[in-house]
Amino acid sequence: MKGPQLGRLRGRLWPNAAALVLFAGFVFPVYWMFSTALKPNSQIISEEPVWFPSSPTFEHFATAVRAEHFWTLVRNSVTVTLLAVGLALLIALFSAFALARMRFRGRKGVILTFMIAQMAPWEVMVIAIYMTVRDADMLNSLVPLTLFYTVMVLPLTILTLRGYVAAVPKELEESAMVDGCGRTQAFRKVIFPLLAPGLMATSLFGFITAWNEFPMVLILNKDAEAQTLPLWLSRFQTAFGDDWGATMAAASLFALPILVLFLYLQRKAVGGLTAGAVKG
Amino acid sequence: MSVQTHEAPTSARSSPTVTPPGSAPAPGNDGARRRGALPYVLLLPALVATAVFLGWPLVMNGMLSFQNLNMTQLIQHVTEWTGTDNYSRTLGSEDFWRVTLRSILFTVVNVVVIMVGGTLTGLLLARLGPRMRLLLSAGLVLAWAMPVIAATTVYQWLFAQRFGVVNWLLDAAGLHSMADYNWTGGQLSTFFVISLLIVWTSVPFVAVNLYAATTTIPRELYEAAALDGAGAWQGFRTVTLPFLRPFLLVTTFLEVIWIFKAFPHIFAVNEGGPDRLTETLPVYAFVEGVGNQHYGTGAAISVLTILILLALMAYYLRIALKQEEDEQ
Amino acid sequence: MKRRLMAATATAALLTAVTACGSGPAESAADGFEGQTLTLWAMDGSTPKQWEKDVRAAFEKKTGAKLKLEVQQWNGIQQKITTALSESEPPDVIEVGNTQTPAYAKTGGLADLGDLRKSIGADWTESVNKSAVYGGKQYAAPWYTVNRTVIYNKRIWAEAGLKGTPRTRAEFFDALDAIEKKTDAEPLYLPGQNWYFFDGLLIGKDAGLVRKQGGKWVSNLSAPEAGEAMKLYAKYASYSDAPKDKDEATPQQAEVFAKGKTGAFIGLGWEAGTAVEANPKIEKDIGYFTIPGESPDKPEGVFLGGSNLAVAAGSEKQELAREFLKIALSDEFEGALAKEGGVIPNKASLQKQVEGNPAAEAAAPAVAGGGLTPLIPQWAAVENPPNPVKRYMTAVLKGTPHAEAAESVEQEINKRLSQEQ
Repeated sequence: MKGPQLGRLRGRLWPNAAALVLFAGFVFPVYWMFSTALKPNSQIISEEPVWFPSSPTFEHFATAVRAEHFWTLVRNSVTVTLLAVGLALLIALFSAFALARMRFRGRKGVILTFMIAQMAPWEVMVIAIYMTVRDADMLNSLVPLTLFYTVMVLPLTILTLRGYVAAVPKELEESAMVDGCGRTQAFRKVIFPLLAPGLMATSLFGFITAWNEFPMVLILNKDAEAQTLPLWLSRFQTAFGDDWGATMAAASLFALPILVLFLYLQRKAVGGLTAGAVKG
Repeated sequence: MSVQTHEAPTSARSSPTVTPPGSAPAPGNDGARRRGALPYVLLLPALVATAVFLGWPLVMNGMLSFQNLNMTQLIQHVTEWTGTDNYSRTLGSEDFWRVTLRSILFTVVNVVVIMVGGTLTGLLLARLGPRMRLLLSAGLVLAWAMPVIAATTVYQWLFAQRFGVVNWLLDAAGLHSMADYNWTGGQLSTFFVISLLIVWTSVPFVAVNLYAATTTIPRELYEAAALDGAGAWQGFRTVTLPFLRPFLLVTTFLEVIWIFKAFPHIFAVNEGGPDRLTETLPVYAFVEGVGNQHYGTGAAISVLTILILLALMAYYLRIALKQEEDEQ
Repeated sequence: MKRRLMAATATAALLTAVTACGSGPAESAADGFEGQTLTLWAMDGSTPKQWEKDVRAAFEKKTGAKLKLEVQQWNGIQQKITTALSESEPPDVIEVGNTQTPAYAKTGGLADLGDLRKSIGADWTESVNKSAVYGGKQYAAPWYTVNRTVIYNKRIWAEAGLKGTPRTRAEFFDALDAIEKKTDAEPLYLPGQNWYFFDGLLIGKDAGLVRKQGGKWVSNLSAPEAGEAMKLYAKYASYSDAPKDKDEATPQQAEVFAKGKTGAFIGLGWEAGTAVEANPKIEKDIGYFTIPGESPDKPEGVFLGGSNLAVAAGSEKQELAREFLKIALSDEFEGALAKEGGVIPNKASLQKQVEGNPAAEAAAPAVAGGGLTPLIPQWAAVENPPNPVKRYMTAVLKGTPHAEAAESVEQEINKRLSQEQ
């Protein structure tokens, strides 16, 4: 009796131990970012690391926020990100519907196009993009930025949403149509609510892409008032290279919205994902 | 790029493991003519947007690669065609081939580590109780969601020569020579930091999606295997692995592409240094083009980078398209 | 931005008053530029606060236009200026580093300022103006030059029992030894890639960075004199714990100094302001002295860093830009800049303005023995990151012999020197 029990206990012990170690490894950098941001300088620059910010201070956050145009950049980042994601979702929904529910000539070609587009190495094309935007006289504006970000996240949004649309049982849609709904109405009343988790999951990826984008805005928008937060963070890092408290505070501020959004949406998205899978 | 890495669960989603059967579009006879135009109308906005904002820059980039385009030409808006000069210079330079080889090695090493690490972590997730699973998932999601630029900043701090916690830990563990170690001083150590960063942001994607995929494996398969007297390892080999094969294949290729074109990770950690020894193709294209202001040469390098990417993608696209057909 | 406030307040107040009187009612009907905005790109640290305020007031009063100052960082500035010059609405007036001016002049992106030279530039210092002239044409107006001094922490020097400041290199090394032995402080903060300090040492050894070979410019880094200069650099660097593969801006050396645990660093006058901004308590401890050379009468060679003001050829406000330059470079404001910023003005007659500014007084004796980087358009490309000279420095500091290290980067330097701009 004793042998197998011990074996089972060990069998349960090592996965949990491994999980704890992995958890620590994955969380530590994020933890260290926040904790450094909250520590007074004396605890940051100490021969022995201070593991917990025992006397937290917000002075580093104050330094980070004090940067010129900070709030303008916040506004720009939020505007560009929200618009790009919203626009991409809207455009993608049409395409996803066509690709998931209809058969037509060239369907595979379209899918292929989006798959390739999804892989585009945008960073190596910045000069071509710059010259295009420059010659269109659209520099220092949020409009081209929004449009480029939209297209950046569009292929993946389409390919993802297509999966979600396809996962909605066709019978549901048909029965709705039998009940006298038009195709549009069936879409709005039946398919759309079922798509909600898919929309959330997809928008998440769009958020991250647009929120993070850096080389393009650097070259397109020289005007400080037309820039976005990634530039602020990188400039901050060069200017305050040795001031890790302030740099970590800036990084924390930059990461926080995405982390919160991700933790919140991921649960729903994964929930939706597994629910769909179980149903299937 | 972690950016895209995050996007990937979706591809997992569209892989057959998750897509419910029977959802394939049935070609209906009703209203076939009306439908004839409808899909194209629905696709139009996306296709136009992609053509204008991605297609055109690609074409433009291609045209620039045949031009002598330096500071003077850029400032004066003059177009000087030079034929294939940029290409012959690039292909004839030792640097380019060294960087290409380095990019490939870098990609292979990272993808192997990510796939093995991600798969093991995903399988671990499947073995855990609900509470531990939630905890580990939360940890993974945190790393996964961390914006690249914030992450590179944090890694620079973790690995800082003075007061960096990694050096302290190594010193405390008895490796006293590491107490003041300069991680960005050498090629391998810089690559180590970059790779750790990339692995850290990429493993969660593989793990979480692999776990999601395992939940769709019917229990009966294991039971049947157990009846046949298969142990845990054999169960894994005969049931889990074949079931996950398509997922692993697609994910591996996605990772190959993402790692190959990773830019911000490498650039932010040490700008391709020391001595340009950690430049991979995208960084090399950027440094030669934008950095050294030889925009034509930079464009040629980026076209070559795109071609290599396409070659890498061809295989993945074939698999993906084939799965597409299987679904139908 | 409290930099360079040291000696300025009283004079500045006086100057403001003068300005107010000078531009009396006769000129208040500004020159027809109302509603326009002139954009000025100046580098971080170039425009002292009071100077900026006064020049802005004078400019806006004289022209009726607005002045928009955009402070730029050095990091990535070349790429930024290049693209900006290609745009339809470039910044109108741009501060361009003297070593980078020939490259931009050659591109045609800068307006010909020959007329300005005639009207206000007759007495610009010839050696300083050299960098602004390309192919016989005036492409920029010399603004100011600066050179590095030793900025030291008096408290730490006192702690080490040091009195006075060293007048020869040997004395300087003795002082650093004393700090090393008697205090906990780092004697000198000198990262491995403070390449302008290295350039100064090269100038001190009379070692040119480039030479002509068969009608082409090629690297001269492998010359033995360059090796001697680097040996000297390595000796200085041995007193520092600073990273060997970073330059003085990452991290900002002044911010390291501000922590009060560093005996000295080699920097520009305004960097003391950065230190004070980071830690106001350090202000009373800051002192300056000329980088000593072999003998007391001949200080170390220095790189005469400096800046020119150029007008973008693509700017539609050529007139207004010249109006601005006439005001900013007038004796009155050029003098004020020298006084407040502790920089060397563009004409000899204003030199006495720096009296009383300790940083400038320490910098002045070295000017005569100062020099520049090669004034050829190709040179700017060499300084593009990753700068091969910096790579050479790191390699030597890590133990690679001079000849080998130089050889490993010369190919890259020659490639850059031969590339079309």
